[in-house]
Amino acid sequence: MKKIYIIGALACSISACKPSVNITKAPTAGNAVFTNYLAVGNSLTAGFADNSLYVTGQLNSYPQRLFEQFSKIAVHGASGDFYQPLLHSDMGFGPQDTSAPPPGLNFRPRKVIGEVTNCLGVTSLAPVNLPGYAPDAQDAMQYQSPGPNGQINNIAVPGIRVADYPVLGYGAGNLYAARFYHNPSTSTPLDELQYSVANLHPTFFTMWLGANDVLGYALAGGQGNGAGTATPAIYNYYSSNDITPASVFQANFDTAVQVAVSTGAKGALINIPDVTSIPFFTAIPANGLYITRQTLADSLTAFYASKNYVFKLGPNYFIIQDNAGVTRQAVPGELILLTTPMDSLSCAGWGSIKPILKQYVLTTDEIQNIKNMTSRFNDIISQAALRNNLALVDMNSYMSKIQSGIVYNGITYSTQFITGTAFSLDGIHMTPRGYAVIANQIILAINKQYGSTINQIDPNQYNGLMFP
Amino acid sequence: MKKHFLSASLVLSTLTSFGAGYQVNLEGLRQMAMGGSGTAWPWDASTIFYNPGGLSRLKSIQVYGSLADIMPATAYGNTQGSTTTKSQTFTPFNVYVGGTIKEGSRLGLGLGIYTPFGTGLTWNNDWPGRYLVQSISLSCVFVQPTISYRISDLISVGGGFIYASGNFALNQALPVQDMNGNDGTAHLKGTGNGVGFNLGVQMKVNEHLQFGVTYRSQVNMDLNGGRATFDVPASLSTTFPNTQFVSSLPLPQVFSVGIGFKPLANEMLTMQFDLNYTGWNSYDSLRFDFATQTSSLKNMHVPRHYRNTLTPRLGGNYKISKVVSVMAGASYDPTPVTTGFVSPELPDADRINVSCGASVKPFKRLTIMAAMEFTTTAKHAATYNYGNFNGTYTTQAITPGIGLYYNL
Repeated sequence: MKKIYIIGALACSISACKPSVNITKAPTAGNAVFTNYLAVGNSLTAGFADNSLYVTGQLNSYPQRLFEQFSKIAVHGASGDFYQPLLHSDMGFGPQDTSAPPPGLNFRPRKVIGEVTNCLGVTSLAPVNLPGYAPDAQDAMQYQSPGPNGQINNIAVPGIRVADYPVLGYGAGNLYAARFYHNPSTSTPLDELQYSVANLHPTFFTMWLGANDVLGYALAGGQGNGAGTATPAIYNYYSSNDITPASVFQANFDTAVQVAVSTGAKGALINIPDVTSIPFFTAIPANGLYITRQTLADSLTAFYASKNYVFKLGPNYFIIQDNAGVTRQAVPGELILLTTPMDSLSCAGWGSIKPILKQYVLTTDEIQNIKNMTSRFNDIISQAALRNNLALVDMNSYMSKIQSGIVYNGITYSTQFITGTAFSLDGIHMTPRGYAVIANQIILAINKQYGSTINQIDPNQYNGLMFP
Repeated sequence: MKKHFLSASLVLSTLTSFGAGYQVNLEGLRQMAMGGSGTAWPWDASTIFYNPGGLSRLKSIQVYGSLADIMPATAYGNTQGSTTTKSQTFTPFNVYVGGTIKEGSRLGLGLGIYTPFGTGLTWNNDWPGRYLVQSISLSCVFVQPTISYRISDLISVGGGFIYASGNFALNQALPVQDMNGNDGTAHLKGTGNGVGFNLGVQMKVNEHLQFGVTYRSQVNMDLNGGRATFDVPASLSTTFPNTQFVSSLPLPQVFSVGIGFKPLANEMLTMQFDLNYTGWNSYDSLRFDFATQTSSLKNMHVPRHYRNTLTPRLGGNYKISKVVSVMAGASYDPTPVTTGFVSPELPDADRINVSCGASVKPFKRLTIMAAMEFTTTAKHAATYNYGNFNGTYTTQAITPGIGLYYNL
């Protein structure tokens, strides 16, 4: 009897009780060649996060994730290392953020979650500037790639627009470009792209450009030309508050793609998300005027008697200033910017007895401008992908899915500010998890276009937001 | 003004439960060795579980004890890698005392203490499904006082009242990381109890042919006053307050029919065949209701949508001599888990069990038994839509068991 028992235990310890599942498949390149990968884009491609650029963010950029997957491919996979213009520190680097309390010129601390006590004495968790922030002098130094020929694989520049591609001396006005551009003060971004292509001979590229061509207008609360009829502010430079005219976008974008494919590279074009769906514009609801006392509701109703606005207990639509400077109540669908001073909302009567100023509000017609132009730009991107047989990543559709929440391995990703996991503390850029989710979408489109079998990434192995 | 930041919900996105097939079919050693069959033939006092109607067939009061040692392991894999659960052993036990109150009596009385439900598994802390489950355990003990009456030589009936007691624990990672990137953790722990009954009819056509029909009711295991504790970053301690929860888990009803017969002229071989119909569809959703709720800690109602299952079991007992018998059997245990609901706390699949065993009767009143069961599932690609967690699983378990009984 005992014998059987012991034999049983023995059999178990040898093999039977340790089942295994191995369904990993070696990824293949299909028709594409990933040997030399070049990433072109703006802040989303640079790994910008938490309102700044810092080295950990860069190391979690989606091009970095893509490179890691490309390099797992045995034949025609990525070779060597992936060189990004890495900063030295995690302090945060970039131009001063005029919407945040400015510690000094060219001070751009990254945001972390901290406790904030507002004017009413209520303490809550909110993004705050990194405590103990001190700019790292090495961050501001020119980046020298240690790679072969000084190669840089990720030439994304935070802030760059398609409209900026022919602007001479662009690097002189953009700290991020100035750090690694070959001739920052005498070149155009297109020249720099040409230089990178000649230097790296990319066999594969990704290009995610265009979000800033609408985002500048949105971030300015629509205080610019949103109709697509803007004219250059100076020479061929458009004001950052304007939406780029479609003809300019098309000419610049098509030229950039032509340069990128000039060495025969294959690649993926990523289209522009609907920027109005991101937390920066949705975190503060338009009906966020929350009234808890009837006397307050009554006095507000009396205050606006001439306009027939009625205020009730609970959520009410804010009082805003529209584009023409007229004070009125917000209507459903209108958006309040995350940069709206919270203490002004809480204690200074903004949104109730005073309007929220127009630079903090996107009104219905401004939102319509953004959507119209985004759609026109995305048509241009689709056509470019089709014409050049490139993969098209429909990030616009995917982001609208994230807006309603997607679940991955037990985590819900959404555009909820802070709790949605995907977006970092600036409400515009992603967390490392969010960038991995984006990389997965790009991989799906590449696999579809080129018949490759690149594996998906588990985003949950990277950090989301971190809490004190 | 409402607080905007962080007032939205960090919902405990997918707090899940115990699993599928959390039934344990090891309530008698000889029956375990015969594929879990035993509804028709009252072999020993374990008939208190297998068919209370058979208790009045025992010749005298018997004391019975057995112990099994389940050593399960489940492997998970996806296109990125694979992992296997940590080694664990579970030891369901059974104690029965009962039989006819005196020789020749029509009345049988008994008490059974057995473990018909339970499950457990522990994944590595960093495995991809950690936000669904890191570890889970469920164990249940049923106590069943039983009465049986032999109406005639042909028919005897029996019934027992069931008092069930169990405990449950679940650990799960929370997607809130501290400044070092460590996940938060939720720990749910509770004890519960419930009541039910077990009825059986046993038919002895002759020494060569017997039948059995049993019905064991559903027992609702109510967890009241369970404790939920959370390890989360300090700034979220009020968002995830330690609190109590209530939950309820159905331990499903089982309807069984069985036949036993001696096909050989020498009467040394007894074959038996059972069908168990298990009412798993009562497990429609798993609920955790928290005493203190916050924007992030909300009541959980997770769909399960189990389906009823029909399990065939086949076994044989060969009496080599007056002292030694050997047994063998097999069963096919289809999973109650439905497509799209295969969650990683018990990634169940159709199981094939094969078993064998032997008994020795060294003295007239004493019998010692040993048995071994091997359980396996095919590798199956599974989806869990609720948490969008997919992969391929396979489960194996080796279960040795020993037992003895003594006729008073």
